Amino acid sequence: MPQQPPAGVAEDLAQIKRLRLASFVEATTLLVLVFVAVPLKHLFDYPLAVRLMGPVHGAAFIAYGWCLITTVSGGGWSRGEIARLGFAAFLPFGGFLNAGLLRRKRAALAEARA
Amino acid sequence: MPYLWLKAVHVAAVLLFIGGLFAQTFALAAAEATAPLARWDRLATVPAMLLVWVTGATIAVEAGWFASPWLWAKLAFVLALTGLHGIQSGKLRRLRRAGGEPSAATPALRVAAFIATAVASIAVLVVAKPF
Repeated sequence: MPQQPPAGVAEDLAQIKRLRLASFVEATTLLVLVFVAVPLKHLFDYPLAVRLMGPVHGAAFIAYGWCLITTVSGGGWSRGEIARLGFAAFLPFGGFLNAGLLRRKRAALAEARA
Repeated sequence: MPYLWLKAVHVAAVLLFIGGLFAQTFALAAAEATAPLARWDRLATVPAMLLVWVTGATIAVEAGWFASPWLWAKLAFVLALTGLHGIQSGKLRRLRRAGGEPSAATPALRVAAFIATAVASIAVLVVAKPF
Protein backbone atom coordinates (compact mmCIF):
# COMPACT_ATOMS: atom_id res chain seq x y z
CA MET A 1 0.00 0.00 0.00
CA PRO A 2 1.56 3.38 -1.00
CA GLN A 3 2.43 5.65 1.89
CA GLN A 4 0.34 8.82 2.08
CA PRO A 5 2.32 12.04 2.67
CA PRO A 6 1.56 13.99 5.87
CA ALA A 7 -1.23 16.55 5.32
CA GLY A 8 1.12 19.54 5.62
CA VAL A 9 3.61 18.20 3.04
CA ALA A 10 0.82 17.29 0.60
CA GLU A 11 -0.46 20.87 0.94
CA ASP A 12 3.03 22.26 0.25
CA LEU A 13 3.32 20.11 -2.89
CA ALA A 14 -0.11 21.29 -4.08
CA GLN A 15 0.86 24.91 -3.36
CA ILE A 16 4.05 24.65 -5.46
CA LYS A 17 1.94 23.14 -8.26
CA ARG A 18 -0.41 26.15 -8.07
CA LEU A 19 2.56 28.53 -8.18
CA ARG A 20 3.90 26.75 -11.30
CA LEU A 21 0.53 27.21 -12.99
CA ALA A 22 0.30 30.88 -11.93
CA SER A 23 3.86 31.44 -13.16
CA PHE A 24 3.09 29.84 -16.54
CA VAL A 25 -0.10 31.90 -17.01
CA GLU A 26 1.64 35.13 -15.94
CA ALA A 27 4.56 34.53 -18.32
CA THR A 28 2.28 33.57 -21.22
CA THR A 29 0.00 36.60 -20.87
CA LEU A 30 3.05 38.90 -20.62
CA LEU A 31 4.46 37.44 -23.86
CA VAL A 32 1.12 37.83 -25.66
CA LEU A 33 0.84 41.41 -24.40
CA VAL A 34 4.40 42.45 -25.31
CA PHE A 35 4.94 40.51 -28.53
CA VAL A 36 1.42 40.38 -30.00
CA ALA A 37 -0.94 42.99 -28.55
CA VAL A 38 1.51 45.93 -28.36
CA PRO A 39 2.83 45.47 -31.96
CA LEU A 40 -0.76 45.11 -33.18
CA LYS A 41 -1.59 48.45 -31.59
CA HIS A 42 1.44 50.41 -32.76
CA LEU A 43 2.19 48.81 -36.14
CA PHE A 44 -1.32 47.96 -37.33
CA ASP A 45 -3.37 50.55 -35.41
CA TYR A 46 -5.38 47.80 -33.69
CA PRO A 47 -5.73 48.82 -30.00
CA LEU A 48 -8.38 46.22 -29.05
CA ALA A 49 -5.79 43.51 -28.32
CA VAL A 50 -4.01 45.72 -25.73
CA ARG A 51 -7.34 46.75 -24.19
CA LEU A 52 -8.16 43.05 -23.77
CA MET A 53 -4.74 41.65 -22.83
CA GLY A 54 -3.79 44.53 -20.47
CA PRO A 55 -6.38 43.65 -17.80
CA VAL A 56 -5.92 39.89 -18.38
CA HIS A 57 -2.18 40.16 -17.72
CA GLY A 58 -2.84 42.52 -14.79
CA ALA A 59 -5.08 39.89 -13.19
CA ALA A 60 -2.51 37.13 -13.90
CA PHE A 61 0.26 39.29 -12.35
CA ILE A 62 -1.75 39.90 -9.16
CA ALA A 63 -2.65 36.18 -8.96
CA TYR A 64 1.03 35.21 -9.34
CA GLY A 65 2.11 37.74 -6.69
CA TRP A 66 -0.48 36.43 -4.23
CA CYS A 67 0.41 32.81 -5.02
CA LEU A 68 4.13 33.56 -4.50
CA ILE A 69 3.50 35.22 -1.11
CA THR A 70 1.28 32.31 -0.04
CA THR A 71 3.91 29.75 -1.07
CA VAL A 72 7.00 31.35 0.50
CA SER A 73 5.17 32.26 3.72
CA GLY A 74 4.90 28.51 4.36
CA GLY A 75 8.66 28.46 4.96
CA GLY A 76 11.56 26.53 3.40
CA TRP A 77 12.56 29.19 0.84
CA SER A 78 15.83 31.14 0.81
CA ARG A 79 15.89 34.91 0.22
CA GLY A 80 17.65 34.32 -3.09
CA GLU A 81 14.92 31.96 -4.28
CA ILE A 82 12.19 34.41 -3.23
CA ALA A 83 13.96 37.31 -4.98
CA ARG A 84 14.41 35.23 -8.13
CA LEU A 85 10.75 34.21 -8.22
CA GLY A 86 9.64 37.80 -7.63
CA PHE A 87 12.00 39.25 -10.23
CA ALA A 88 10.85 36.71 -12.85
CA ALA A 89 7.37 38.27 -12.94
CA PHE A 90 8.80 41.44 -14.50
CA LEU A 91 10.75 39.76 -17.32
CA PRO A 92 9.42 38.27 -20.55
CA PHE A 93 10.12 34.50 -20.39
CA GLY A 94 11.00 34.96 -16.67
CA GLY A 95 8.02 32.92 -15.52
CA PHE A 96 9.07 29.99 -17.72
CA LEU A 97 12.53 30.02 -16.08
CA ASN A 98 10.80 29.39 -12.73
CA ALA A 99 9.77 25.91 -13.88
CA GLY A 100 13.16 24.30 -13.11
CA LEU A 101 13.46 25.78 -9.63
CA LEU A 102 9.87 24.83 -8.74
CA ARG A 103 10.36 21.28 -10.08
CA ARG A 104 13.50 20.90 -7.91
CA LYS A 105 11.67 22.23 -4.83
CA ARG A 106 8.80 19.78 -5.38
CA ALA A 107 11.24 16.89 -5.84
CA ALA A 108 13.17 17.86 -2.68
CA LEU A 109 9.94 18.09 -0.68
CA ALA A 110 8.68 14.75 -2.00
CA GLU A 111 12.05 13.14 -1.20
CA ALA A 112 12.13 14.61 2.31
CA ARG A 113 8.76 13.12 3.14
CA ALA A 114 9.77 9.63 1.95
CA MET B 1 -23.22 63.84 9.76
CA PRO B 2 -23.47 63.97 5.93
CA TYR B 3 -25.18 60.94 4.34
CA LEU B 4 -22.12 59.72 2.40
CA TRP B 5 -19.88 59.75 5.49
CA LEU B 6 -22.59 57.97 7.52
CA LYS B 7 -22.87 55.31 4.78
CA ALA B 8 -19.07 54.89 4.68
CA VAL B 9 -18.92 54.34 8.47
CA HIS B 10 -21.88 51.91 8.26
CA VAL B 11 -20.32 49.74 5.51
CA ALA B 12 -16.99 49.67 7.36
CA ALA B 13 -18.77 48.64 10.58
CA VAL B 14 -20.73 45.85 8.81
CA LEU B 15 -17.54 44.47 7.26
CA LEU B 16 -15.72 44.51 10.61
CA PHE B 17 -18.61 42.87 12.43
CA ILE B 18 -19.01 40.06 9.89
CA GLY B 19 -15.24 39.59 9.70
CA GLY B 20 -15.04 39.38 13.50
CA LEU B 21 -17.87 36.85 13.58
CA PHE B 22 -16.11 34.60 11.04
CA ALA B 23 -12.79 34.94 12.89
CA GLN B 24 -14.51 34.00 16.16
CA THR B 25 -16.11 30.91 14.60
CA PHE B 26 -12.86 29.67 13.11
CA ALA B 27 -10.75 30.51 16.15
CA LEU B 28 -13.01 28.19 18.14
CA ALA B 29 -12.59 25.43 15.53
CA ALA B 30 -8.84 26.09 15.23
CA ALA B 31 -8.35 25.24 18.89
CA GLU B 32 -8.72 21.63 17.69
CA ALA B 33 -7.49 21.85 14.09
CA THR B 34 -7.05 24.36 11.28
CA ALA B 35 -8.41 21.99 8.58
CA PRO B 36 -11.93 23.54 8.47
CA LEU B 37 -10.36 26.98 8.07
CA ALA B 38 -8.18 25.75 5.18
CA ARG B 39 -11.27 24.33 3.48
CA TRP B 40 -13.26 27.55 4.01
CA ASP B 41 -10.31 29.55 2.70
CA ARG B 42 -10.22 27.49 -0.51
CA LEU B 43 -14.00 27.40 -1.06
CA ALA B 44 -15.07 30.88 0.04
CA THR B 45 -12.33 33.34 0.99
CA VAL B 46 -10.08 32.94 -2.07
CA PRO B 47 -12.98 33.03 -4.59
CA ALA B 48 -14.35 36.11 -2.76
CA MET B 49 -10.94 37.76 -2.99
CA LEU B 50 -10.72 37.05 -6.73
CA LEU B 51 -14.27 38.38 -7.15
CA VAL B 52 -13.30 41.55 -5.26
CA TRP B 53 -10.41 42.16 -7.70
CA VAL B 54 -12.37 41.36 -10.88
CA THR B 55 -15.53 43.29 -10.01
CA GLY B 56 -13.57 46.18 -8.51
CA ALA B 57 -11.35 46.57 -11.57
CA THR B 58 -14.38 46.33 -13.88
CA ILE B 59 -16.27 49.02 -11.96
CA ALA B 60 -13.21 51.29 -11.91
CA VAL B 61 -12.64 50.91 -15.65
CA GLU B 62 -16.30 51.48 -16.55
CA ALA B 63 -16.56 54.55 -14.32
CA GLY B 64 -13.19 55.93 -15.48
CA TRP B 65 -11.87 56.10 -11.90
CA PHE B 66 -8.28 55.07 -12.62
CA ALA B 67 -7.44 58.77 -12.99
CA SER B 68 -8.69 59.50 -9.45
CA PRO B 69 -6.16 59.63 -6.56
CA TRP B 70 -8.62 58.10 -4.08
CA LEU B 71 -8.75 54.87 -6.15
CA TRP B 72 -4.96 54.46 -6.02
CA ALA B 73 -4.99 55.02 -2.26
CA LYS B 74 -7.72 52.38 -1.99
CA LEU B 75 -5.79 49.99 -4.26
CA ALA B 76 -2.76 50.25 -1.96
CA PHE B 77 -4.89 49.07 0.96
CA VAL B 78 -6.45 46.25 -1.13
CA LEU B 79 -2.97 45.12 -2.22
CA ALA B 80 -1.80 45.11 1.40
CA LEU B 81 -4.83 43.06 2.52
CA THR B 82 -4.34 40.61 -0.37
CA GLY B 83 -0.67 40.23 0.61
CA LEU B 84 -1.63 39.74 4.26
CA HIS B 85 -4.01 36.94 3.24
CA GLY B 86 -1.17 35.26 1.36
CA ILE B 87 1.23 35.54 4.32
CA GLN B 88 -1.33 34.18 6.77
CA SER B 89 -2.28 31.31 4.42
CA GLY B 90 1.38 30.30 4.28
CA LYS B 91 1.77 30.56 8.06
CA LEU B 92 -1.34 28.41 8.60
CA ARG B 93 0.03 25.79 6.19
CA ARG B 94 3.31 25.80 8.12
CA LEU B 95 1.34 25.43 11.36
CA ARG B 96 -0.49 22.36 10.01
CA ARG B 97 2.80 20.86 8.81
CA ALA B 98 4.36 21.41 12.24
CA GLY B 99 1.43 19.62 13.88
CA GLY B 100 -0.12 22.70 15.44
CA GLU B 101 3.03 24.15 17.02
CA PRO B 102 3.30 27.87 16.17
CA SER B 103 6.83 28.82 15.03
CA ALA B 104 6.75 32.34 16.45
CA ALA B 105 4.36 34.57 18.36
CA THR B 106 1.90 36.26 15.99
CA PRO B 107 1.11 39.91 16.76
CA ALA B 108 -2.61 39.17 16.33
CA LEU B 109 -3.84 42.43 17.88
CA ARG B 110 -1.59 44.54 15.66
CA VAL B 111 -2.62 42.59 12.56
CA ALA B 112 -6.30 42.94 13.50
CA ALA B 113 -5.84 46.69 14.05
CA PHE B 114 -4.22 46.97 10.63
CA ILE B 115 -7.10 45.06 8.97
CA ALA B 116 -9.65 47.28 10.75
CA THR B 117 -7.85 50.48 9.72
CA ALA B 118 -7.47 49.30 6.10
CA VAL B 119 -11.11 48.20 5.78
CA ALA B 120 -12.41 51.43 7.32
CA SER B 121 -10.13 53.53 5.08
CA ILE B 122 -11.24 51.60 1.98
CA ALA B 123 -14.91 52.17 2.85
CA VAL B 124 -14.37 55.89 3.38
CA LEU B 125 -12.26 56.30 0.21
CA VAL B 126 -14.64 54.41 -2.08
CA VAL B 127 -17.87 55.91 -0.74
CA ALA B 128 -16.92 59.52 0.04
CA LYS B 129 -14.20 59.83 -2.66
CA PRO B 130 -12.59 62.67 -0.70
CA PHE B 131 -9.86 63.53 -3.27
